[in-house]
Amino acid sequence: MKSRLKNIAGLLALSLFINSCSSDDNGSAPADGTSGDVELFFDNGVAGDALMLGNSYTNSNGETLIFERFTYIVSNFVLIKEDGSEFTYPKNESYFIINEETGQFTVHLENVPAGDYKKIKFGIGVDQQRYLQGETAQQSFWDLAFANNMTWTWSTGYRFINCQGTFTVDPAHGGDTTSRGFMIHQGSNTATDNYREVVLNLPTTARVREGEMPNIHLKSDANVILDGDTKIELHHNLNGAGTAASIMAGENLITIANNTKKMFTVDHVHNGAGTHH
Amino acid sequence: MKKIVYFLSILSVLSCQDDNGEYIEIDQPLDFIIPANFPEPVQDISYNAPTQKGFELGRKLFYDGRLSRDGTVSCSFCHEQASAFTHHGHDFSHGVDNLEGLRNAPAVQNMAFQGEYFYDGASSSLEMLSIVPIHNPVEMDENLESIVLKLKQDPVYVKLFSQAFANKEVSSGNMLKALGQFMTMMVSANSRYDKYVRNEAGGTLSTQELQGRALFQTNCATCHATDLFTDNKFRNNGLPPNPNLNDLGRETVTGFAYDRYKFKVPSLRNVALTAPYMHDGRFGSLQSVLNFYASGVQNTQNLDPLLQQHPTLGIPLNQQEKEAIIAFLKTLTDEEFVSNPLFYFRT
Repeated sequence: MKSRLKNIAGLLALSLFINSCSSDDNGSAPADGTSGDVELFFDNGVAGDALMLGNSYTNSNGETLIFERFTYIVSNFVLIKEDGSEFTYPKNESYFIINEETGQFTVHLENVPAGDYKKIKFGIGVDQQRYLQGETAQQSFWDLAFANNMTWTWSTGYRFINCQGTFTVDPAHGGDTTSRGFMIHQGSNTATDNYREVVLNLPTTARVREGEMPNIHLKSDANVILDGDTKIELHHNLNGAGTAASIMAGENLITIANNTKKMFTVDHVHNGAGTHH
Repeated sequence: MKKIVYFLSILSVLSCQDDNGEYIEIDQPLDFIIPANFPEPVQDISYNAPTQKGFELGRKLFYDGRLSRDGTVSCSFCHEQASAFTHHGHDFSHGVDNLEGLRNAPAVQNMAFQGEYFYDGASSSLEMLSIVPIHNPVEMDENLESIVLKLKQDPVYVKLFSQAFANKEVSSGNMLKALGQFMTMMVSANSRYDKYVRNEAGGTLSTQELQGRALFQTNCATCHATDLFTDNKFRNNGLPPNPNLNDLGRETVTGFAYDRYKFKVPSLRNVALTAPYMHDGRFGSLQSVLNFYASGVQNTQNLDPLLQQHPTLGIPLNQQEKEAIIAFLKTLTDEEFVSNPLFYFRT
């Protein structure tokens, strides 16, 4: 019994020694079979400025927008190593909501195999395949999405992006200065699959170890939704009464799906045990 | 008959007796039988394979007014079994506070064989579609979270959920799954017509009905295709739009102008029981429907090309031919389906 205790003490000392080595900034090979956590922080902005609800931002379409809501779904996270090998986060737990109104900016991934990751891949919204599998596959994600204004109820889908506020149009761009509401509800419907995936390089390796959590700091640019590769002018999308612009269907959703493939960039990666970003 | 049996993982309710010697009911997978004259189902039933308890729970929910805000409107309120689960005699569906909807309640039958639901295809999931009438402010005006709170107070539901689902939870997801299981099993395929095409006992059609069938095959069966009597597509059949509603149909969902005034081609099974007809219930009889196709079709935006093949728009039919088609349509009535106690929850 005594000798067994001694062995355990020896193992403990050895493992402590190994652990102390792994906190070396130069890094070390991860121990096989171990895992750690990864945190992603989504920093919302508008064309390089910080996004603040209630502030106004003028885009290249000559329209000035005041955001009152900016919420989106990110999903299906994959971490990719330098050799191209991938770790796919369990799909049932891989749906998250980032919400500027409630201050929900992080995605926390648990039990990621220890390793050095060079790229991340994720989806914007809910993939059609998953959606068709119904609530079984989504667990209680519908409840969470409903609480965050991310469900449609007149049809049965998820809003991938919910961006609302008011806008005015520069008279030089053919508008008047009346403030009108705008509502952008990006999503799929039974005719169009608007789910898209993005793959982003990490400027620094994200080092996942037991007890060591990399924090991946992303920037999300709300401006690209309307002012990305293809422009969408709100004043060309007014309702019949001309009182507000709503973008919820049709060609605009396909445009937004493609524009938002450039919505995210990785700004930097923090390695270590801290939770700063 | 093609037969698919889904083997479910054995639930914890397998044993007949628990440690205290109490009797425990067994949950069992249900056979989902594809009628021999039907095409393959469109929905993947393995995602939500029906079980005995899931089905019973779904049926109880279907008949329960607690799914509406004020407890007055159940699914069965607008989907009555005797009318093949439609709202007999009502052009529009009714809701809480005696509010009126904008469309005629469609039949709930053969749901697993459809890819999209509602006249505009607002949903493509059998498991999720119940979300729409539950949240519609002029129908049930409720939300899932609130319903779950109500159901958790009821020991009968707590027991049924625990029997029907492995995680035993009274949850929004399990509620939608149970409703989906009930609707999956609602197959109507035993009309006199079905017996005729399957050469079963009782499957005889009269001369007039056979003449009607031939006319139907020539003039109607491109859209009302297969033995489901629908091609599951969206089409504009040339109804003059009701200016008070200005219902854009499929465009409401897709946002594409080429979908304006297109509505889902409905199945014609049990059609003799489902008056009034069309998405807005404007026609009170099958005679009126055929009068419309013979002489009422208008050339509105996106009118289906199939209704533009003759010198006049629509389908040329004389009265004798209309009567024959109606006689044929009446052979699609499935008395067994509309009187089957399996689909009726007796309180």
